[in-house]
Amino acid sequence: MEVTQTTIPRTSARSGWLASLEKAAPFLALGLAALAFPLLGDSYWGVIVTRACVYWVLVAGLNMVVGFAGQIAIGWVGLLTLGAYTTSAMTAGTAMPEVSPYLALVAAAAIGALFGLIVGLPALRLRTFYFAMATLGFSTIVTQVALAWKSVTGGGIGVAGPVFGWPFTGNWGFYYFCLLIAALCTWMTINIAGSRFGRALVAIRDAEVAAEASGIAKSQLLMTVFLFSGALAGVAGGLFSSLQSYITPDAFTFDLSVLFFIAILIGGRGSVLGPLLGALLLTALPEVAAPLVAWSTFLYAALLLAIVLAVPGGIADLLDFKNRRPLERHREVVPRPEMLTRLLGGEGSVLSLANVVLSFGGVRAIDGLDLDVRPGEVHGLIGPNGSGKTTTLNVISGYYAPQSGSVRLGDAVLPPGAARVRASHRIARTFQTPRVIGGASVLDNVKIGGTIDGHGSFVEAMLTLPRHRRDEAVLRERALLALSAVGLESLADVRADRLQHSELRFVEIARALMLAPSILLLDEPAAGLSAEEIRRLGALIKSISRAGTSVLLVEHHADLIFDICDRVTVLNLGKVLAAGTPDEIRSHREVVSAYLGA
Amino acid sequence: MIESIVSYGLAVGAVYALIGITYNVMFSASRVFSFTAGMLGMLGGVLGALFIGKLGLPTIVGFVLVLACGAVLGVITEIVAVRPVLKSIEQHLYVLSTLAFALLIQQFTAIEWGTEAQPFPRLIPISSGWFDQQFWLPLLACAATIVGLELLYRRTLVGRAFLAIAEDSYAARALGLPEQRLRLASFALAGIIGALAGFTGGEMLLAFFGNQAILSFYGFVPVALGGMGSNRGAVIGGLALGLFQQAANFLVGGIFAAVAVFVVFIAVLLLRPEGLAGAAASRRV
Amino acid sequence: MPTSAREPLLEVRDLAAGYGKIGVLHGVQLTVGAGEAVALLGPNGAGKTTLLRAISGLLPRTGQIRFAGKDMSSAGPRDAVSAGLVHVVEGHRVFTQLTVFDNLLLAGYGMPRAARARQVEEALAFFPEIAEKRRNLAATLSGGQQQMLAVAQGLVRRPRLLMLDEPSAGLSPVLVDRVLLAAAKLREAGTAILLVEQLIEKALATADRVYALARGTIVLEARTDEADLPNRLEQAYFGQGAHAPLQS
Repeated sequence: MEVTQTTIPRTSARSGWLASLEKAAPFLALGLAALAFPLLGDSYWGVIVTRACVYWVLVAGLNMVVGFAGQIAIGWVGLLTLGAYTTSAMTAGTAMPEVSPYLALVAAAAIGALFGLIVGLPALRLRTFYFAMATLGFSTIVTQVALAWKSVTGGGIGVAGPVFGWPFTGNWGFYYFCLLIAALCTWMTINIAGSRFGRALVAIRDAEVAAEASGIAKSQLLMTVFLFSGALAGVAGGLFSSLQSYITPDAFTFDLSVLFFIAILIGGRGSVLGPLLGALLLTALPEVAAPLVAWSTFLYAALLLAIVLAVPGGIADLLDFKNRRPLERHREVVPRPEMLTRLLGGEGSVLSLANVVLSFGGVRAIDGLDLDVRPGEVHGLIGPNGSGKTTTLNVISGYYAPQSGSVRLGDAVLPPGAARVRASHRIARTFQTPRVIGGASVLDNVKIGGTIDGHGSFVEAMLTLPRHRRDEAVLRERALLALSAVGLESLADVRADRLQHSELRFVEIARALMLAPSILLLDEPAAGLSAEEIRRLGALIKSISRAGTSVLLVEHHADLIFDICDRVTVLNLGKVLAAGTPDEIRSHREVVSAYLGA
Repeated sequence: MIESIVSYGLAVGAVYALIGITYNVMFSASRVFSFTAGMLGMLGGVLGALFIGKLGLPTIVGFVLVLACGAVLGVITEIVAVRPVLKSIEQHLYVLSTLAFALLIQQFTAIEWGTEAQPFPRLIPISSGWFDQQFWLPLLACAATIVGLELLYRRTLVGRAFLAIAEDSYAARALGLPEQRLRLASFALAGIIGALAGFTGGEMLLAFFGNQAILSFYGFVPVALGGMGSNRGAVIGGLALGLFQQAANFLVGGIFAAVAVFVVFIAVLLLRPEGLAGAAASRRV
Repeated sequence: MPTSAREPLLEVRDLAAGYGKIGVLHGVQLTVGAGEAVALLGPNGAGKTTLLRAISGLLPRTGQIRFAGKDMSSAGPRDAVSAGLVHVVEGHRVFTQLTVFDNLLLAGYGMPRAARARQVEEALAFFPEIAEKRRNLAATLSGGQQQMLAVAQGLVRRPRLLMLDEPSAGLSPVLVDRVLLAAAKLREAGTAILLVEQLIEKALATADRVYALARGTIVLEARTDEADLPNRLEQAYFGQGAHAPLQS
C-alpha cells in the first residue's frame, strides 16, 4: 500500500479543467465537424445530417429514460408523431388559426411533455414489460388516430409540414437550426448525466432498494424525466415534419422507434457520447450501404440481439479504456478512521422501538419488540435464523410497516413503511447483499448516499447554474472523505463491478456515511470477509460510533459482536431473549441454549 | 349491425385471447413475457396464406405445417432469446432479446412476403352466412385450446410438471424434473397456440406483417386485465376486448375505440397492477 | 477419517460454492457412509443450506463430489436424483396447486409407470396421515403435513442418501418428533441420511455422527456418543476467540 499520508489524495480522482477538457473533447470535435459540414456543399448529405440532428434531439431525451433510468420505452415514435402533427396542424391551420412555426414548436414540446408523462405513468409502479407494452400500445394508437382524424391530420393523404422563417431560412439555415437544438440537448443531457439527478436515475435502474434508502424519490424523478424526454420528442417531431415537408401516418413506422431505441443500446446505457455516436451511425448506415436499405431494420434488430447477448455495455464500454487497465492484485482495504470526525458529528438521538409487532400471514416475525439504541453506541442484534433480526432492520428502515408499536428517533415518530423518508431522518443502512451500481465508478456510488443534501433543482442542474455547481463540489469532497475513511480512495475512479466482494461492503458503508447518519444500520457486514478484514471492519465500526453515529449491527460472526459491541440484544422467535453487555450475554444460559438449539 | 358487432367482436376477441394464452404459457414456464407472442400470430396468417394460397398445399397439410413452424419458432425463441438471459432475469434483458428476435422475424417477413396485406384463403369450401367460418374458426380454436390445455394440465404427468415449474421452479429442479426440457416444450406449445390464433383468424385479419405489433399489444391487454398466468382471465378479457372494440368502432368511431382501450389499459395497470382477478405480489428486500 | 470406517457413500472434498461474488463455502470435506445418519450443524449463516444445494447440484460449485462410486462433481440435480441422492429442500416447498398424489407422482417423473405407482404407495405408507388426504390439494395441508409430503416426495425414488434441510423449521414440537421419527424409520430401512437441523439435541438423538459448519468450513467432526460434545460444539460455533463459560 502506497497511501500513508493523511490528506485526501488528488491523483486518483482527477479534477480540474484538464479532466473536463478530456471529457468534452469528443463532443467539441463533433460540433466543429458539424459546423463546418455545409462547406462540403453536398445537399443530399445535408439532408441526412439534418435528419441525424433531428433524431438525436429525440434520442438525447429518450436516453435519459432508457439509458439512465433503465425504462424500456420502445414506442417513443408515438411522441414524435404527436409533435409532428401538432406543429403541422398548427402551422397549416387545420385545427385553429395558423401560428408561427416557432410557436408551434413550443406547443409541440408542451404536448410531447404531457403525453410523455402519461405514457410514463405505468413505469412508476410496474415492472418493465408492462411499461414497454404501454409505449408500444401508445405508438400503435397514435398512428390509428392520425389515420382516422382526417379533419386535422388529413388522414392518409397527410398534411404539409411547417417552414421555419427568418433567421433559419433555406436548407442550410434549417440545418443550423436543428444543429443548434441538437447541441443544446447534448449540453443539457451531459449536465443532467453528471449531476446528482443523473446518478439517481442510474441508481433507480441498478440498485433500486439502495436508491430508496438514500432518499431518492423515484416517482418524482421519473416524472421529471418523462416530461423532459417527452418535450424533446415533441420538438424532434416538429423538426421532423419540417424536414419531411409533408407528413402522412406512413412516415412514422415502428422502425423509427426501433432505430431510436437501438441507438441508445448500441451506444451503451448510462452514457451520452455512446448513444450520440449510435444515432449518427444508424442514420448514416443505410446511406453508405444502399443495397441494405430494405434490410436496415432487420440489421438493427440483429444488432440489438447481438448486443444484448454479447456486449450489454455497448459502444461506451468499448471506449472505456480507463477501466481495462488491470487493478493492483493484492489490494487491502485499510480504513482511516481519523477522517471520520470531518464527515460525521453532531448530537445523536436515541432510536427506540416500543412494542413492535409484525406478522406475515399469521406468523409473528416480530412479536412485541422493545429496543433502544443509545447515541454513540455499537448495538449488536443477534439470534438464530428466523428470529427477526433483518426484519427488525427492515421495520426501522421502513421497508416493512409493523401492525402495531412505534419506532422513534429522538422525539420524532418515524412513519411506518415509507422507506424513502428515512434518509431525511439521518438513518442510513447497508444490505446483506451489497446493492451497488456496477457500471458506475466507486466515487459515483458513494455520492448516491448524499443525494438528499443537494439544494439545486433539476433545471438548475440541467443548465449547470451556480447552486448546482456548489452542490457537486460539496458532494465530491464529502465522497472522497468517506472513501478515505473506509480505505478505498485509491479505487475512487474504478467501476464498482470490478471490485471484490469485501471491497463492495466498504463501498456501502462509505455511501451510508455520506448522510452523516445519526444511526447506521449494518446488515451482516462481515459476511464473506476474511478474518483480517473483519478485524479492520470492527475497528471502523467502533470509530464510527465514537464519532457520534450510533450503530445497530446484525451479524452472525459472534466474535465480532462480542469484540466491538457496547450492548447486545438477543432475539428469539421475534422477542427479546436477553439484552446486556457482551460479557453478560456470553454467560447467559438461555442465549447459549438458543444458539445451540437445546 | 348487432350481428356483425357480435360475430366480428367475438372472433377478434378469440384471437386476442389465444395470443394472451400464448403469453401465459411462456410466462408460466420461464417467468418471461416474450414479445414473440404477436409474431407467432402474425406468422400463423402469413404462413397459412403462403402454404395454402401460394403453394397450393391441401388445407390440412398447410394447417399442420403452420403449427409445426410455430412450434419450431417457439423452440428457437427459447434457445436464442430466453435461455441466455434467464440467469439475470432481474435485469429484464429478456424484454430486449425477445423484442429483437420478434423484430428480426417480422422484418424478414416484410422483405420476403411484402408489406402489403394479402388475402388468406378460405379454409372450408362452404358458402358464407352472417356467422361465417372466418368468425367461428377462431372461437372454435380458442375453445379447443382451453379444453386441450385443461386436459394436459389435469390428466397428464407432463402437464402437472408444467404446473409444478410454474409454481416453484426451484423445488421442481430439486425433485429432478427436467426443467430445461419442460421449458423448451412449453415454448413449443406456445408457438403452436400462437400460430393457431393467426391461422384461424387469418381470413379476418389477412396475411399482413403489421399484425405483429397490433396482436402483441391487444393480445397482452387481456393478460394485464385478467392477471398474468391466468388463462381464464385471458379468455374473458380477450372476448370482452374484442366486443368492446367492435361496438365502439360501429357506434362512436375508431378513434374513440383505440383511445378508450389504451386508457382502460393504463388505468387498470395503475389501479390494479396485479390484474382485475390477480393477487398482489410481495416485497423484495 | 477414523470415525467412518465403512466405505463412504458420499465423499465431498475441497468443495467451494457461493452466490455471485460472495463465497460461502471454502474447502468443505465431508463423508457419509452407506446407511449412516449424519447431522450437519452450525450457526446461521454458516452455509449449511448452501452446502446441501452444492452437493445436489442446485448451485454451481468447484471441488470433488463422489457418490456411490461415481464422480458427481459436475452433475446437475437430475443426475443426482437418478443416482439416488435426493435433496428435500428447506421450507416444505410442495406444489400447492396439485393434489398430494400428484405431488408424489411428480417426484417419480421419468420412472416406469408401474414402478412409480408402487413406490408412491410405499412412500405414502410412511405417512398414514397424508395418505388419507391423497386426493386433496397440497394447499389444504397443514405445515407439518406439507413437510411430511416433502419428505415423502424424497422417498419415492428409494434414495440411497436423503438430504433433509431443516425439516423441523416452523413445526410444533410434536410434529418435529413425527418427522424425525420418519427419518429414523428410513434409517432402519437402510437409507443414509444427511440432516441439517437447528434443534441440536433432536439432531444428535437422530444421528450417528455430526459435523459442525462455521464460516463456510467444517470446524468439527465427532460421533454423537462422544463426551463433552455440547461444549465442543459451542466453541466451534463461537470461534476460537470465545471461551464461553457454560455453567449451569
